Amino acid sequence: MTNNSRDAGPANAADRFAHAPLDDDAALDPAAMYALLNNQQKSVETQMGAFVPYITLAWGLTWLIGFGALWLIDGLQPVFSLPLAAAVPIFIGTILISGGFSAWLGIRAGRGMRGNSASAFTGTVYGITWSIGATALGIFGSALQHQGMSAETANFFYPSAYVLFAGIMYIIAAAIWHAVPSLVGGCWLVVIAVAAPFFGYPGHYLFLALAGGLAFIALSVYGAVEQRRIRSLTNGGGPRG
Amino acid sequence: MDELDPVIHAQARLRIMSALSTLEADGSISFPRLQELLDMTAGNMSTHLRKLEDAAYVDITKTHKGRTPITYLGLSKKGRRAFEDYMETLRSVLGER
Repeated sequence: MTNNSRDAGPANAADRFAHAPLDDDAALDPAAMYALLNNQQKSVETQMGAFVPYITLAWGLTWLIGFGALWLIDGLQPVFSLPLAAAVPIFIGTILISGGFSAWLGIRAGRGMRGNSASAFTGTVYGITWSIGATALGIFGSALQHQGMSAETANFFYPSAYVLFAGIMYIIAAAIWHAVPSLVGGCWLVVIAVAAPFFGYPGHYLFLALAGGLAFIALSVYGAVEQRRIRSLTNGGGPRG
Repeated sequence: MDELDPVIHAQARLRIMSALSTLEADGSISFPRLQELLDMTAGNMSTHLRKLEDAAYVDITKTHKGRTPITYLGLSKKGRRAFEDYMETLRSVLGER
């Protein structure tokens, strides 16, 4: 600690905070204390959410690679065709990897934290809803196929249904945890889910790969830049003291 | 002019209270995780936590994870109210309200 802000004169409050000796028992002037309070809250929230851009990036890549693989089955015919036996495992594999990665990061971010029973209930119900919805959509699709939905139509139904469902779940997450980026991402997913079939087969896969993948990568970059901005504002969570 | 609560009105304790205020009501955080988030030394954080505990602003729960003792910290109802009052007072001092 090099600088005593109480002698710093009429600099702005954020500057005074940035150079403040934070390890002592003293108070700064009210404006600097107010800045300290706000910056500390932002710093903690940013550190708690530091994992989010990584998850968003993982899902962006999953969309790009997964739907890209499905598009490559017929998208570049006759020049190139990715065999169905390779495309489907790539699609499922990338989803499983991202799902596992997200869960690992989420658990890691929650270490040392204990919530109240209401929030535990909310989190559990939200998590289970993903499984219930994904399973239900699979059964629903099978039932429609059983009633005569063609394989061609099923090619549109499944991706759009799952993307629509994911979008709605993102919006619900935004409502529960007050996360604006999740709201933006969710609304975008809903839009591209219903728009995708208009691109026809296999263009709808390419559309989902690019519109979903690139949007999530952009969201991830935005999140990372925003976190860096807040970190610089809060002096990395406060000098050691 | 309103009096600013002297228990909170110190940089280190304000940082601790601000960090704890981001937890949900009745939520708590382990000592090492809070230390990591605040980047404070254990000794310094303990000193200020003791003052906050003496004022009944912080609930400290000691438990075990396996054989490892673990201490959880959270704002008490009184502490959360005191922190909100402190913020209000600061704002009024600064002429925001």
